Amino acid sequence: MIIKRKVAVVGAGLTLFRRRMQETSRELAWEATKMALETAGIELKDVECVVMGSAPDAFDGIHMKGENLADGCGGWRKPYTRVFVGGGTGVFVPIAAWWHVASGHFDICLAVAEEKMSPCHPHPQWAFHTIFDPILSRPLGVNLIWIFALEMHRYMYKYGIKKEDIALVSVKNKANALDHPCAQLAAKITVEDVLNSEVLVWPVQRLDISPITDGAAAIVLASEDVAKKLTDSPVWIEGVGWCLDSRYWTNRDLAYPKYVEYAARMAYKMAGIHNPPKEIDVAEVYDPFDYKELHHMEGLLLARKGEAPKLTKEGVTQRDGDLPINPSGGLLGVGNPIAAAGLMKVCEIFWQLRGEAGKRQVPGDPRTGLAQAWGDLMQIGTVIVMRA
Amino acid sequence: MSLEKIRDPERMRRWPGHMETDYVYTVGLAGERFFREIKDNGKFYGTRCEKCGITYFPARTFCERCLSELKEWVEVSPRGYVEMYTIAYMDLEGNKLEKPEIWAFIRFEGVFGGLVHKLGEVKPEEVKIGMVVEPVLKPKEQREGSITDILYFKPAK
Ligand SMILES: [Zn+2]
Repeated sequence: MIIKRKVAVVGAGLTLFRRRMQETSRELAWEATKMALETAGIELKDVECVVMGSAPDAFDGIHMKGENLADGCGGWRKPYTRVFVGGGTGVFVPIAAWWHVASGHFDICLAVAEEKMSPCHPHPQWAFHTIFDPILSRPLGVNLIWIFALEMHRYMYKYGIKKEDIALVSVKNKANALDHPCAQLAAKITVEDVLNSEVLVWPVQRLDISPITDGAAAIVLASEDVAKKLTDSPVWIEGVGWCLDSRYWTNRDLAYPKYVEYAARMAYKMAGIHNPPKEIDVAEVYDPFDYKELHHMEGLLLARKGEAPKLTKEGVTQRDGDLPINPSGGLLGVGNPIAAAGLMKVCEIFWQLRGEAGKRQVPGDPRTGLAQAWGDLMQIGTVIVMRA
Repeated sequence: MSLEKIRDPERMRRWPGHMETDYVYTVGLAGERFFREIKDNGKFYGTRCEKCGITYFPARTFCERCLSELKEWVEVSPRGYVEMYTIAYMDLEGNKLEKPEIWAFIRFEGVFGGLVHKLGEVKPEEVKIGMVVEPVLKPKEQREGSITDILYFKPAK
């Protein structure tokens, strides 16, 4: 495969992440879009095409969400596309934006992700219920957290992992989020707090899980020539990967996300990465649940199977550790507006590699970063590798 | 295997389901003021983008062409004209309406945009394209800050 052109991220924008925002979905998208354009130093007229991403229409409660939000995403009289891979959408948006530019067809592409989950009443859980098979699962009254609970329990059982080891992820991420100005659930908590929190679906407890959130994120991508004119510090997209596993969650290995590994291998190959834990300086790993960060670190080959909890316990994944994971605070701390949460991770890597992450900055001048999201019917991995 | 001959789906092996979800939508930043003006003062407002020289109606928070924040609120005359109209004989579920409804796209002078709304106090055969119309609002104490505070538009005097 020959990639014709280099593509860089040159600007990023993010809204507050909150349980309920007054802004309409379009207004939220606009706030992120405007900030991304301003930080890139361009105007809407300079944007040649737009890629937007959002998870199911059922959250915002507007069918044709892509079209309904088009003005907030800068999609006025421009080539405009919505991409969708469920929860993996946030990282798939910059991947799709990347190919728009890498193909040579466009020089500047705006990428926007939005999710407003608060309209769905009484709780978005009801929208999640309808993603399940109407014949085999829904008659049972299936609840989304069941699946995660089964997966988490399987992961614990297979490798002999204790709940207190998993809880450390929640403690770390919520503490990291204390330094994030957009964060919804930043907190100084202890492992005991997690273990004493309300049991939702065992072994998933209240503090193991990310919140319901409204929010939006946006980035600007540019071709090499244009990027170099716009900024002295472009962040290059050097690897992209995505992979979908079986449609049946009963036909997947619950203890190990093979599809994340395939997605990561695709991105690593493209970026020329042979030893991920050594060559990745900072990673934003999808963490809607605390165990998912560990699960995904292993799928991304950043830890050996069953060993991510050990790295976490040793402090390797702290901001000042050898392999900082989720210095933003992740979904557990910053919040989880589904598609926007994934793109928030890409924004964080952009800021980390530019040395612009402020109090969240990981030390040691990181040069290579990774962001990953996961979703669809709990079976997709989307991965992006970026370099300063 | 085609099931076309089976007219009654209840005769198949089945599981009945539904995908209903309930929603509460915020009217948003611009909507908050736009609907408050109708509710409290019976007035229509648009927002102006100086850069693009456009006044959007109904009022918006930002300009779709340049993404500028729109801070200039402009009162818009509630008298509009019928750009186009249609007559509905069936309701949302395909039932015949007792009385046909006239639905019109109404534009207003000096602004970009308009409203789709119902026409009242006029017979279908009397409606003309370009006809000047004005809104009939609910009594003030019954208004709740929504598009249904406007009952319909009627021919202007
Ligand atoms: Zn404008």
